Amino acid sequence: MKRSIPFEFFRYAAIAVALAITLIPILWMISMAFKPIGEWSVVGANLTWWPKHPTLSNFRFLFGHSDSSLIVALDRTAVRPIVSSLLSSIFGTAIAMSAGTAAAYGLSRFGSGQNLPLALIQLRLFPPMAVMIPVMIMWAFLNFTDTWWGLALIYGIVTLPFAFWLMKTFFDDMPREIEEAALVEGCSRWRVFTRVTLPMMRAPLASAALFVFILNWSDYLIALLLTTRQWVTIPVYMASLSSSMTGQLYGAKAALGLIAAVPPVIMGIAIQRYLVRGLTFGALKQ
Amino acid sequence: MSAASVSVPEDSVAAVAAAPRGRDEGARLGFRLTLPAQVLVLFIAAFPLLMQLYISVTDWGPLGGTGWWSAWRLWNNFANYTDLAADMRFWHALGRTGLVMLICVPAEFLLGLALATLFTGDFPGKRLFYSILLMPMMVVPAVAGYMFFMLFQSGGPVNDILSKFVGHPVTIAWLSDPNLALIAVMIADIWQWTPLMFLILLAGMVGVPEDQMKAATLLGANAWQRFTTIVLPKMKAIIIIALAIRVIENFKIFDTLYIMTGGGPGVATETISVYIYKVTTQDLIWGYVAAIALAILIVLSIVAVFAMKRMVASREVRA
Repeated sequence: MKRSIPFEFFRYAAIAVALAITLIPILWMISMAFKPIGEWSVVGANLTWWPKHPTLSNFRFLFGHSDSSLIVALDRTAVRPIVSSLLSSIFGTAIAMSAGTAAAYGLSRFGSGQNLPLALIQLRLFPPMAVMIPVMIMWAFLNFTDTWWGLALIYGIVTLPFAFWLMKTFFDDMPREIEEAALVEGCSRWRVFTRVTLPMMRAPLASAALFVFILNWSDYLIALLLTTRQWVTIPVYMASLSSSMTGQLYGAKAALGLIAAVPPVIMGIAIQRYLVRGLTFGALKQ
Repeated sequence: MSAASVSVPEDSVAAVAAAPRGRDEGARLGFRLTLPAQVLVLFIAAFPLLMQLYISVTDWGPLGGTGWWSAWRLWNNFANYTDLAADMRFWHALGRTGLVMLICVPAEFLLGLALATLFTGDFPGKRLFYSILLMPMMVVPAVAGYMFFMLFQSGGPVNDILSKFVGHPVTIAWLSDPNLALIAVMIADIWQWTPLMFLILLAGMVGVPEDQMKAATLLGANAWQRFTTIVLPKMKAIIIIALAIRVIENFKIFDTLYIMTGGGPGVATETISVYIYKVTTQDLIWGYVAAIALAILIVLSIVAVFAMKRMVASREVRA
C-alpha cells in the first residue's frame, strides 16, 4: 500500500524516539565500562556522557590486576563466576535439550506422554520463588548447593518446557515421508530417530539450544539461592561488587555487565526467526 | 538403498507402520523417549510439593538443628496459614505486585502494538531497526536492573536529561523515594519487555491478509476503521497469548527490581517474590515460607484452570 509522505515522516520520527529510548541505557553502560574511576561517580553537573579518558582498567581490574587509582583489591576475580555461568548454562542446556528433544519426538511420533505439554506449561506458570524451599532442602541433602552441576540440573529442569515445546513444533512441522521410507528399508525406529531425524534437524536443534542457553545464562534468582561462594554466577557476583571504601564499583560492574550482556544479545539476533515460536510455546510461528 | 525400494507405494508404507510389531516398537520407544522428561517433572513437581505441604504445617527452619524429615516435632496446628491471613506485609506485597502488573502489562502492550503498527509494510532500514528494538529483552535481567540502577542515580543521566529540559539542575533521588522507586522499577520493566510485545504482535500482524485491507480501503474505510474491524479481530488470539505471557512473567518480577532497589526503600517496592526471598534468607522460618508459597501455587492453579476453561469454551463457540 502506498503511504503518504507525512506518514513516512511520522514513522521515522517515532522509530527514532523508540531507538533512542532502547539504546540509551545500553550505551550508558558501555560508556561506564570504559570510564576511569574519576568519571564514575558524578556530583552536580559534571556528568560525562562519553568517557573523556577511555580506559580498559575496569576490565583489567575484574581479572585481578590491581589499579593504582583503585585502592581496593578484589578478594576474588571474575574468572570463576564466568566459568560457573558457562558450565551451569551449557550443561543445563544439554539436560533440557536432550530430555526435551527425546520427549518431543516421543509425543510427536508415538503419542507418548500426553500429560507433558500441559504439565510443562504449568511448571512455567509458577514463580520459581514459590518452589525453591523444597529445592533448596533437596539440593542441600544431595550436596548440590554451591556447585555448578547442582545449578545445571535445576536450569535443565526450569528450561525444559521451552526445549520441549520448541522441538515439538519442529517435529510436528517435519514431513514424515523420509522417516517412513527409512522404516520400510528395515531401520528400527530408534535408528530412524538417531540417524535420519536428528541429522535433518541440525539447524532447528542449534536454534533451540541457543534459545535455551540464553534463558539459562539470564538467571539470577536461582543462582542467588543455590550458590554462596565457590560457584556464584556472573549476575550474583556482579551484585556483590562493591566495597566499604568506595561504595559501588560502578565501572567494574558495568564492565562485567557488558561481558554478561554481549553473548545473549548476539545469539538472540542470530535466532530471531525462532524467538516468537520459542517464547509463545509454539502457539505462534513466524 | 536402491531407487526402486524408495518409491514404495503409499499403502504398503501405511501397512508397515500399522503392523502390530511396528506399533509395539513405536509405543515402547515413545515411552522410553518421554521417560527422562517425566522423571524430571516428577522430581521437581510431585516430591517437592509433598515436602512443601509437610513443612508448611510446622515451624521448621534450616538452622533449627532438626532435619526436615523430623519437622513434625515442630507441628504448629496450621498457625502458618492463620498468620498468613493476618500478615499485612504479605498482602501489601501482593497488592504491589498487582499494581505493577496493572500498569506495566497494558503499557507494554500499547507501546508494543504502536511499534508493531509502525513496522507494517516495507521501508528502508526496517530489518536493522527491528533487530535493535529487540535488544532489551535479550539483555540479562539482572544487568538491565543494574543499567537502570545507574540511570536513576541522583547524579545520573535521567536527572541530567531532565535538567536540560527544565533549565536548572534536577537532583531527584529516584531510588530512595518510596513512590518514585516504584515508578523507576516499572520503567525498567517496560523498557525490557515492550520488545516482547512488539515481537509477538508484529508476527501476528503479518498474518493479516493484505487483500482484505485493500478491499476495505477501496470501500472507503479509514486507517482506524481498518485497524479495529480487520486487524484486531484477526489478532485476538495472539493478543490473548501475548498478554497471558506477560501477566505470568510480570507476576514473578524479581531480578531487575531486586538489583535496583532490593525491595526498598523500606518495603516500598517489595513484590511477592522479593517478600518471599527476604523471609527465606533473612527470617529463616521456612515452614512459613512454604505456607506462603503453597497458598500462591494454589491460587495460581485455580486461575490457570479457570483461564483454560474459558479459552476452551471460546474456541468451541468459534468452531
